[in-house]
Amino acid sequence: MIGKRRMWVVVAAIAAPMLVVSACSSRNAVNKPHNQSGGGKGGYGYKIAVVTHGGAGDSFWSIVKNGAVQAGKDMGDTVTYQSDGDPTQQAKLIDAAANAKPDGLVVSMANPEALKSSIENAEKAGIPVITINSGEAQSKPYGALSHIGSDETIAGQAVGTELKKEGVKNVLCVIQEAGNVGLEQRCAGVKDTLGGTVSNIQVDNNNLPAAQTIIKTKLQSDKSIDGVVTLGAQVAQVAEGAISQSGSSAKLATFDLNADVAKGVEDGKIAFAVDQQPYLQGYLAVVMLTLYNSNLNVLGGGQPVLTGPNLITKANAAQVLKLAAGGTR
Amino acid sequence: MTDLEVKEVTDPQKADVPMLEIRDVTKTFGSVISLFEISTTVRAGQVTCVLGDNGAGKSTFIKILSGVHQPDGGQLLVDGKPTRFGTPRDALDAGIATVFQDLAMVPLMAIWRNFFLGSEPTKGWGPFKRFDSASAKKITRKEMADMGIDIRDPDQPVGTLSGGERQSVAIARAVHFGARLLILDEPTSALGVKQAGVVLKYIVQARDRGLGVIFITHNPHHAYPVGDRFLLLKRGRSLGDFAKSEISLQELTRLMAGGAELEALAHELERDPGELGEVGRELAQDTESLG
Amino acid sequence: MTAATATVDERVAHVGILRRILLKPEFGALIGAIVIFVFFASQSDVFRSWTGAANWLDVSATLGLMAVPVALLMIGGHFDLSAGVQVGTAGLATGIMTTYWGLQLYASWAVSLALMLTIGFINGFLVTRTGLPSFIITLGMFLGLQGLNLGVTKQVTNTVQVGNLDLVPGYHALNNILGSTVTIGGADFPVAIIWWVGFTIVASWLLLKTRFGNWIFATGGEPNASKNVGVRTDRTTIALFMMTSFMAWFVGSTQIVRFATIQAQSGIGQELYYIVAAVIGGCLLTGGYGSAIGASLGALIFGMTEVGIVNLNWNSDWFKLFVGVMLLLAVLANQFVRRFAEQSRR
Repeated sequence: MIGKRRMWVVVAAIAAPMLVVSACSSRNAVNKPHNQSGGGKGGYGYKIAVVTHGGAGDSFWSIVKNGAVQAGKDMGDTVTYQSDGDPTQQAKLIDAAANAKPDGLVVSMANPEALKSSIENAEKAGIPVITINSGEAQSKPYGALSHIGSDETIAGQAVGTELKKEGVKNVLCVIQEAGNVGLEQRCAGVKDTLGGTVSNIQVDNNNLPAAQTIIKTKLQSDKSIDGVVTLGAQVAQVAEGAISQSGSSAKLATFDLNADVAKGVEDGKIAFAVDQQPYLQGYLAVVMLTLYNSNLNVLGGGQPVLTGPNLITKANAAQVLKLAAGGTR
Repeated sequence: MTDLEVKEVTDPQKADVPMLEIRDVTKTFGSVISLFEISTTVRAGQVTCVLGDNGAGKSTFIKILSGVHQPDGGQLLVDGKPTRFGTPRDALDAGIATVFQDLAMVPLMAIWRNFFLGSEPTKGWGPFKRFDSASAKKITRKEMADMGIDIRDPDQPVGTLSGGERQSVAIARAVHFGARLLILDEPTSALGVKQAGVVLKYIVQARDRGLGVIFITHNPHHAYPVGDRFLLLKRGRSLGDFAKSEISLQELTRLMAGGAELEALAHELERDPGELGEVGRELAQDTESLG
Repeated sequence: MTAATATVDERVAHVGILRRILLKPEFGALIGAIVIFVFFASQSDVFRSWTGAANWLDVSATLGLMAVPVALLMIGGHFDLSAGVQVGTAGLATGIMTTYWGLQLYASWAVSLALMLTIGFINGFLVTRTGLPSFIITLGMFLGLQGLNLGVTKQVTNTVQVGNLDLVPGYHALNNILGSTVTIGGADFPVAIIWWVGFTIVASWLLLKTRFGNWIFATGGEPNASKNVGVRTDRTTIALFMMTSFMAWFVGSTQIVRFATIQAQSGIGQELYYIVAAVIGGCLLTGGYGSAIGASLGALIFGMTEVGIVNLNWNSDWFKLFVGVMLLLAVLANQFVRRFAEQSRR
């Protein structure tokens, strides 16, 4: 009796993987797996630590990390990447990174005050610091070499201007992460230049299905909304669905980019996307620290190095789509 | 208060072979002798009371009878045949049901659910097998009525019943599932006077239905009215195994409480408080003599 | 004497029916749902329209589908903090296996089911073998899966999402089962709502009308006592964890099919809402008492609130405050109703 049962288990154990493997087909593999692109010939050998405030699963910061890591490969540097959305925790990560005596430190400052002492301590220990993405105003006062990024308010204003051109008067600004200063700045920027009404609404980036229903409900409740602005690539896609399902004719614009957004712009479902080239922020920071260490080069002339706002429209969406699918745009 | 029936064994021939005989049972845990050469019998339709203070070995005794532990010496005879209970299931299969102090009840669940817990009747087949709640409720009401309780609503949670009523549910459950011998572990110990009386009544009813009952308690006043046989335990040893006709309540109490020593103590304590020193000295002497 | 007894019985029987309704664990949640519905419906015509109903039922269904097995698990005396992240794992597994590794859609759907059931088994096995609190074990699983979801996704895709499922052969049939809509009164109701109602009915029947259901109550109420009378508490616990993981598979699959994309961090944070819905529905945190229908009513309250706030143009910053207050009120109301019902018996 036991022998018979065991026999069936063995048969199943052999048959199952065979059945599974036989169900493989290249027709199903619509996405290309990530190819580890080869490193450049650079052999600088520096140690660069990157400490940001980005969330682990955030598509934007994932691209920043990809850029930094690739730059490390191309330069022949060792790049470490840490992040924590909580400023106090991020400060501790900066301290820990600085203790390892790297040749350079890259920091994003969503909450500059909380990071000030950790950054200044690192500089006192002789570690050059470059800031990226946020905290532009405090970058030079804190002693950073340079700031690479895109001003959130300016980006918001660019969106407002663009929407005004399209004739949009009443915008719904969707904030997907409560309490994020950068996101609030974007909405405020839109309000500056739109010349109409901008109302904010909160959704949860970790619960996108509910986010879609909330946006849909808002559009059904307030028929005067003719524009929707999302502040993250992941929300943009569900906003697309919300607009079509609610029967609204509102125009959709978004900040930041991913493959779905690029496709949406290509299809005309998204009017345009404003991209601040996160890959460049990560990549350039590592390159600049490498060149500073090897050649004392500093880029910017005391001014921030701007990576955006960069408009993705129907004209360039198709080419960007391929790159976005690979995680570099 | 004394409206309890006391049934004497009128026909000694009928109760010839005891349902359960405990013969010279010994149990040790490491170097501690928990029970030493304990003997007693239980017959159908009779109540054997096991008396002893805390630490006497009562709980070890129950665990051996219910199959949780095995004796290190001596034997158990069921219907005259030497038997060994390897697991609690063996004891249950032999018809020995133990009602532990926690009653094995789930307070938040309804009476009928508790009644059939672990032995639920089912109706239907395959994935549609249902818990036959209709017949479960009916049987529960009937069994409880046979014990003399009218549960108004079998759906009420067991936790809302009084302590005595809960004991009766446990007893009714054991009786329903074919117990021949009921072991009750201190059923009256946590109850008030009136409730204890109610439980004693259930014990008598179970006995009258032909079951054998082992009634464990530390209260001789509860044991004496319902017991036919009395086993006294003290620190693992037997102080005696008596039939009711062989011992009186006062003697039972005396033996349980430590007998002569306690009498002397009570006598001493009646004296004038001014002679505390002498009392203390004599107490010390008594303690020495007790070892 | 008999006449007096008869009168007493009659009176008690009369109170019995009312008391029986009040004593049902889902009663508090039912009242709450009615109150919330009346409140929002009276102030917003969109809320009470067919389109409005489709919206809040949709949100309720996604939450409710998971809240039901989580409630059963809680009645059985355990927590599963990994329930939310498992939803992500299931969707990502199906997505990666099909769109990156070329496995046929239904084959990868089946493999991800096997994967999720294994995760559920591991949870249950660890809880029953080690005797450690399920809170701790599933917390470990939660953190582990969180890292796994992100790490594997990034490794395979270099991004934090898996998409394009709608381009895969066989997608449309699966979408009809999981992601399509039913039009009623001019509004599109997602089929998830029908699945939600169906699963609630099945779970409730399982809990109240089967032997296994009796064992769930017993294992949660008094595990040691239950074991003594022959209840298989270990098997019951493992089965409950596997049921939770099964539902995570179902909900994760629904998500990736409906949206054709799933994010690496999907589901994280939702596990607490499942527990809140179950508690609003009458489940005790200590186990042994609760209701599957109640958990669904709790999810319904959630959905109506989340969408109702938007309908009334309230500031959505205050949403979490409202949820916290509502949870406390619901639990207090449940306790009050139960005490009142028990007292009226005496």
